Amino acid sequence: MTQAATNASDLMVEMHNVNKWYGDFHVLRDIYLEVKRGERIVVCGPSGSGKSTLIRCINHLEEHQKGDISVGGVALTQDVKRIEQIRRSVGMVFQHFNLFPHLSVLENCCIAPMWVQKKPRKEAEALAMQYLERVRIAEQADKYPGQLSGGQQQRVAIARSLCMHPDVMLFDEPTSALDPEMIKEVLDVMVELAEEGMTMICVTHEMGFAKTVADRVIFMDQGQIIEENAPEPFFNNPQSERTQLFLSQILGH
Amino acid sequence: MIHNKDTLPQQPAPKGSIGPIAWLRGNLFNGPINSLFTLLGLYVLYLLVVPTIQWAFIDADWVGTSREDCSRVGACWVFVNARFSQFIYGLYPSEEYWRANIVFAMFAGIIAWMVIPRLPFKRWMTLFALLVFPVIAYVLLHGGYFDLPRVSTHRWGGLMLTLLLATVGMVGALPIGIVLALGRRSTMPIVRTFCVIFIEFWRGVPLITILFMASVMLPLFLPSEMNVDRLIRALIGLTLFQSAYMAEVIRGGLQAIPKGQDEAAAALGMTYWKRMGLIVMPQALKMMIPGIVNTFISLFKDTTLVMIIGLFDLLGIVQAALSDSRWLGFSIEGYVFAAFVFWIFCFSMSRYSQYLERKLNTGHKQ
Repeated sequence: MTQAATNASDLMVEMHNVNKWYGDFHVLRDIYLEVKRGERIVVCGPSGSGKSTLIRCINHLEEHQKGDISVGGVALTQDVKRIEQIRRSVGMVFQHFNLFPHLSVLENCCIAPMWVQKKPRKEAEALAMQYLERVRIAEQADKYPGQLSGGQQQRVAIARSLCMHPDVMLFDEPTSALDPEMIKEVLDVMVELAEEGMTMICVTHEMGFAKTVADRVIFMDQGQIIEENAPEPFFNNPQSERTQLFLSQILGH
Repeated sequence: MIHNKDTLPQQPAPKGSIGPIAWLRGNLFNGPINSLFTLLGLYVLYLLVVPTIQWAFIDADWVGTSREDCSRVGACWVFVNARFSQFIYGLYPSEEYWRANIVFAMFAGIIAWMVIPRLPFKRWMTLFALLVFPVIAYVLLHGGYFDLPRVSTHRWGGLMLTLLLATVGMVGALPIGIVLALGRRSTMPIVRTFCVIFIEFWRGVPLITILFMASVMLPLFLPSEMNVDRLIRALIGLTLFQSAYMAEVIRGGLQAIPKGQDEAAAALGMTYWKRMGLIVMPQALKMMIPGIVNTFISLFKDTTLVMIIGLFDLLGIVQAALSDSRWLGFSIEGYVFAAFVFWIFCFSMSRYSQYLERKLNTGHKQ
């Protein structure tokens, strides 16, 4: 990142000193993260380091106990209306896709625009087809999720999120549950999305993806952000020992 | 190395491995012990079925007006015949049967409309069945409006009463059960506690006690000018009792839905009720069809317990007819008839649920 000065209104996601506990267990410790509009962040780290919890706090799927989070300038509070407002502007893609199995692919994409944004069915369907087209799965629109492969399901899940016109997309290990031959088709869609300027926070171990699209790579361990850098210095010249160890473990074979 | 360049032609299965003979050999006579059991089973079946058919059909008497028309060798269906209208309508005045018949016909029509997949306007039909039909049925059956003579509820009985109790119980228990099940999983402590106490109270008390309390104890506590109809009290007791069971069945279904479904819906900005109504509940209910129908069937049979508070449902009216001095000694016929009618209804429900399960299961095996 070259621009040092950031206008406050450019900030899409702000997390200031966010702390979270599961009972006594301190999962997130003083997280400080600011994401600008259009910025692409990749979060990595060993399992249990709190990276999924971190992004799940942004749309309040997990509740943080201390600190401040705001999305697009709207502060996240306990207020249900406020939470729903933020969720409407934050798309999320899950590790296990979480498509709705009782609805067809098209209905999966239409249901939120129709019931949350009150769009008429025709308009919602046209929108859904447009995004299904973009993730190259429009021809499967009438099938049910159970009839699709993992990679296809994940692409539908991305289209489903995009139908809400989110300002930010959160990806929670989107390729970890996929068979190896399907990872590429999902990553390709994500790269295209990044190229179109979508603000993205992506928890992933796909280091190739991080190198191609990330503006910043964040390394987490034991609930803390250990290191944060542009991909090139991050991979070639990691500062902390824990980052070096982690990178040697995932890249060193 | 290539093993099979061309697809091998399809060949017929070996002789004797398909067809009825093979089925018999494979399933009934595969070995001396199984053959022995098959023959033994057939013999027992013969011992049971032949006399039953002899009694129920061949030696049975069908037409007549009094017990003298019965030879008493086989079943005396004359008894059922003579009392048939009472078994159906209870003590409903016979000149007003047409009113009950209209309600029966509408009821059957609604059921048929809902069950036959081809027929359109299901949503409107549901609204009609839930909002308009009860009013029509009440006006017709109870009377007191439009110059229809009043028929008070203590004269309602027979199959009519059984169906009324069962239908109101089912239609009432399902939504209350859904609300209770959601309440029991709620994160709000007061709501949850209320639902847990409600469910555990109604589940922990025998239905007979509830009916008895509703009919005998409740009037003692209510002010004397507040006279709630006995049938209404029974209906409320039955519905609340079954809704507690329904709640537990549905809670089981809700637990089987992965948490990710609710999370995905939440991440799209859906409110709690939309998440439940559009995403979680449709999947849970689909999964719970066997359990829900099981509860419905047991409810249908439990309606016979209203006998204890002096309501004459189908079984009650059959039993009352048995003590008629002109028709003493035909209890077997009476009970067989009642059992047969109950079986028809319960078996139909069971079959329909199986059909529904098959129909809804297509396309989303995950």
